[in-house]
Amino acid sequence: MQRMPEKKVYILPCSGIGKVFGSIGREASYIVVNELAEAKTKLSCLPLIVKGKKELIDDINENHVIVIDGCPLKCSYNDVKSATSKEPDGQFMSTDVVKYNRELKPESEIMPLGQNAKKLARQLAEKISEKVDEILDSDNEGGE
Amino acid sequence: MAQLIKNKVGIIACSGEELVGGTITRAAARMVVEKLRPEKTIILCQPLFMAGGLERHGGQQERDFSRDHPTITIEGCDEECARCAVERYSGPVAAIFRVEDILKENPGLKPIAREELDADGLKVAKILAMKIADKVDELMGDKRDEDGSCSDPIQPSSGGCGCGSK
Repeated sequence: MQRMPEKKVYILPCSGIGKVFGSIGREASYIVVNELAEAKTKLSCLPLIVKGKKELIDDINENHVIVIDGCPLKCSYNDVKSATSKEPDGQFMSTDVVKYNRELKPESEIMPLGQNAKKLARQLAEKISEKVDEILDSDNEGGE
Repeated sequence: MAQLIKNKVGIIACSGEELVGGTITRAAARMVVEKLRPEKTIILCQPLFMAGGLERHGGQQERDFSRDHPTITIEGCDEECARCAVERYSGPVAAIFRVEDILKENPGLKPIAREELDADGLKVAKILAMKIADKVDELMGDKRDEDGSCSDPIQPSSGGCGCGSK
């Protein structure tokens, strides 16, 4: 029987609203927590962390966290790092997946996301899901 | 920045990821800024507004804008993260709109999907957007509403924004 991971991985996208890249990260997060790594991950509101919700920050510190940003300002990375006492276990930029898939130019609209943007979000989600496994495998190796 | 975009109202949505309310706030904000009042409003990025190390990257502009212009917040739940952010870093908000209030006024609407808004979610967002647009018109004709101030600097705590509310 497969051992259930003791810790979970928080997935925290920046959810920037000005450009499509924040929405690609947000969509990728939903794919990870709803589908690709449902039992291994948690989603929470980034603003609530920055606001200082103590129970949430404590839980993040006791688990793992992956941040997803949509622009070089890296709001999610900076927010998580300053609100918690830890360096995120994984960092992703939604702009990177765009860079490596030039043929999929994301549409500018975010409500709803365009087809290319959705495809890019899924690709990003698959990479994030791999990172989730890597982080949790590392936990299991350390505990054996 | 402020000189270039004077006579605009800032719109900031909580954008919370965990609840459908957060997604509704994003949709409402985009409707106001892109469709209903594009000439009168500007969208403010909540994560950028709240991010640490803003000064290093020039992101302080968001906070400066909100300090010098009327800013409307849109809240997806009773934590009111957007309001707390504006009041923490910039000053009193001009108005607060809550998804919960629209749901109370329209008990038949039951949005569910946080990933992509369903029909009820879109209806709530549209109602919110129209109310916000009306408020924008009011603000453009009047001076900034000073009610509800809680501009004292705050420290992280057990979920409260430190401004005296929940």
